[in-house]
Amino acid sequence: MVSYLAGTFRGSERRWIVVAALVLLPVFFLPVLPVWTMSLHAPQYPEGLHLKIYANTIRGDLDKINLLNHYVGMHRITPRDFQEFTYMPQLLTLFGVMALLAALVNRRWLAILGWLAFTGFAVLMFSDYARWLWHYGHDLDPRAAIKLQAFTPPLIGYAKMANFRVLSLPGPGTLLLGFAWLLGPVVWWIEHREGIDAR
Amino acid sequence: MKRWIAGTLAGIAALVLLSHIQGCGGASGSSAAQKVYVKPGEYDKYYAFLSGGHSGQVFVYGLPSCRHITNIPVFTPEPAKGYGFDEDSKKMLGGFVWGDAHHPGLSETNGDYDGRWLFINDMPHARIARIDLKDFTTREIFGPIPNISAAHACPYPTPNTEYVFAASRFSVPVPIGTLSKVSDYAKNFKGIIAGVKVSPEGHMSLGFEILMPPFDWDLCDAGKGPSMGWQFFTCYNSEEAYDSLEIKASQNEMDYVAAVNWRAAQKAIDDGKGTMIGGTKVLDPKQVPGIVYLVPTPKSPHGVDVDPSGQYICASGKLQAEVTVHSFKKLMAAIDAKKFEKEIDGIPVLRYEDVLEAKVPVGLGPLHTEFDGKGNAYTSLFLDSQIAKWSLTTWKVLDKIDVYYSIGHLCASEGNTMHPTGEYLLALDKLSKDRYLNVGPSHPEGAQLIDLRGPKMELLYDFPTYPEPHYAEIILASKLHPEKIYPLAENHDPYAVKTAEEARVVRKGNRVDVYMISIRTHFTPDVIHVVQGDEVFFHDTNLEQDADITHGFGILESNCDMQVEPGETKTMRWVANRAGIVPFYCSNFCSALHQEMQGYIEVAPPGTHVAAVQRPAPSRVAEDAALVRR
Repeated sequence: MVSYLAGTFRGSERRWIVVAALVLLPVFFLPVLPVWTMSLHAPQYPEGLHLKIYANTIRGDLDKINLLNHYVGMHRITPRDFQEFTYMPQLLTLFGVMALLAALVNRRWLAILGWLAFTGFAVLMFSDYARWLWHYGHDLDPRAAIKLQAFTPPLIGYAKMANFRVLSLPGPGTLLLGFAWLLGPVVWWIEHREGIDAR
Repeated sequence: MKRWIAGTLAGIAALVLLSHIQGCGGASGSSAAQKVYVKPGEYDKYYAFLSGGHSGQVFVYGLPSCRHITNIPVFTPEPAKGYGFDEDSKKMLGGFVWGDAHHPGLSETNGDYDGRWLFINDMPHARIARIDLKDFTTREIFGPIPNISAAHACPYPTPNTEYVFAASRFSVPVPIGTLSKVSDYAKNFKGIIAGVKVSPEGHMSLGFEILMPPFDWDLCDAGKGPSMGWQFFTCYNSEEAYDSLEIKASQNEMDYVAAVNWRAAQKAIDDGKGTMIGGTKVLDPKQVPGIVYLVPTPKSPHGVDVDPSGQYICASGKLQAEVTVHSFKKLMAAIDAKKFEKEIDGIPVLRYEDVLEAKVPVGLGPLHTEFDGKGNAYTSLFLDSQIAKWSLTTWKVLDKIDVYYSIGHLCASEGNTMHPTGEYLLALDKLSKDRYLNVGPSHPEGAQLIDLRGPKMELLYDFPTYPEPHYAEIILASKLHPEKIYPLAENHDPYAVKTAEEARVVRKGNRVDVYMISIRTHFTPDVIHVVQGDEVFFHDTNLEQDADITHGFGILESNCDMQVEPGETKTMRWVANRAGIVPFYCSNFCSALHQEMQGYIEVAPPGTHVAAVQRPAPSRVAEDAALVRR
């Protein structure tokens, strides 16, 4: 076990780990690829209202959505409310650097550590996102003009909320992150298919 | 295997071909109904801007569906859009409550519509308005233009929108307000032609004026291509009659087309020539030669229209059955050779035969001519209630079509440019009589959409219009890109407030300024304390940035109701005439809680002390802050 962890990778495996590091790049700081998207369609909004969540901010029709949300007493959605935006890019960068280091110094334990941390991070972030959604749908202003049953907007998939049809989907950012994450099992699979060197 | 692939490919090819053939067959054999049908949710290909005549507005239609899309109030207060109710538009109207809008003129670049602005004249008050096509809103009204009496030959922009023009239809002694016996008409009355400069930003200023004989200056059109730099005007009443014009102004065989060299006229003004009349420099052709020439033209010509090539000037003698076509080349040659028949008030008169290119026997009562860009012209025939299609090469009449009834102007798609699209023609009729459901003695006007794409004209659609379109212009919709909202960030109105913290009521003496915001679904502030006799200025900023969320602001028992578009600030004056409670409300249905969008003005008796500054409650400020991103 210890010898396995202390072991090194072959060239093809190292290349895949570098790929995992590089793939994380476009999701880092700049709002280039959204990690999550939400679109809301209503009869009077055939063009839809769109939210795009990036690693460090939210963009899209925030003002229009906030204005409509005030009818049901939902909290104003503002990027400043999210602590996550202040550390998500840094953490993603850290995972990228770890993957790059693992490939450069060529130590299996470093790669596995990075991958496990990345996995834990992903689980935490999903639950965090779910908690925010729950919060927006439950912490409603009791003075609101329209009183709604507490609700949770969909984490993923489709839901009908009042006159809106809401579609919530992972963005290209999350697809890239998922691809980087999958490269962990892929490298493991390649190693086992070709037999682990006892180097 | 190969055979199988080849067979499949042949099958696909046959299917494609079949569907193509069916598609073509459908188009060529399609009915008029199919040709005007625009599917729900889809857009028309063209905007048509119809002048609204004495309604003082512009009517906007989509073609080919002939759907009425909106009206643009121009010379008349219009509560539906709050035009003439807020202080800015009230000031622009200059105290007038009516106007007679005749001739829309789209701005041009290189002789083609560029989609920036629409100019239109107010004939009786000698004014020209500029509508910005970014927001379909009147942004400038220039005039009354000094010395101009009834600007009918107006505005007809030049090919790069350097100038718009105006000319007196009803000659009077100048400056306006001068008294004379009407019987001294020939001696004391003067016609005036004015060139109004348009800046690159669209602002109008007076360029020059020319003193003309006291004829009735009727219509004009801009030269283009070879005739660029010239503006052509028709006139009737060269008899100089001042009463019973119906008879007395119809006696001469020839009236005139005046050719104005606007570059030369502007140069003369810039060189300091001209005498001051009515506060502006006016050029007298006796003293400034070379700025205007008269071309004899038969029988009280009405419309004058320059063909897309700029070579031919087509004038319609309304009391004869022909269109008279003058050649610009011949006109220039005759001027160069100084072949003048005589002079009228210092203006050289050319010989009819020297300038004439053709006489086209179109039919009775020819008024206006438009073009299809394919070598054909279309002339409206008032008496025959028809349109005649004729060739600009053979000068032969090719086709005629009935319209309903007594057509005035007609208007082809991009028809007044150097490149008409030749797709549609709109007939604008003076009478509709029995064409539509009877609505009593005041009849709507009539309009017909005609297809120009085939060898023969084809009537596609017949629809009523509100009184009373004169001319219209049709522009490709793809050239216009109107804004859906006004961006708040670009709102620099000095009275704009963009947060609830800034919303307030400020009084100085008996002037009260209410800095108010509108957002779904309330006004802030919505309770206002004033004192009887106060002059109150409501400055309302609509903080919405979502399309189509207009908020109204109407005060009960007053003449005050304005409409504020998303991102816009408007100011309206209201006087607290008596003590008591005065409600106000949003007069434009805005949202699910529109009915709740209301407020009260508490008017205290004179002498009551009211705070100098009133601010909304902190809870309201917080509520608004949650709605508006800062």
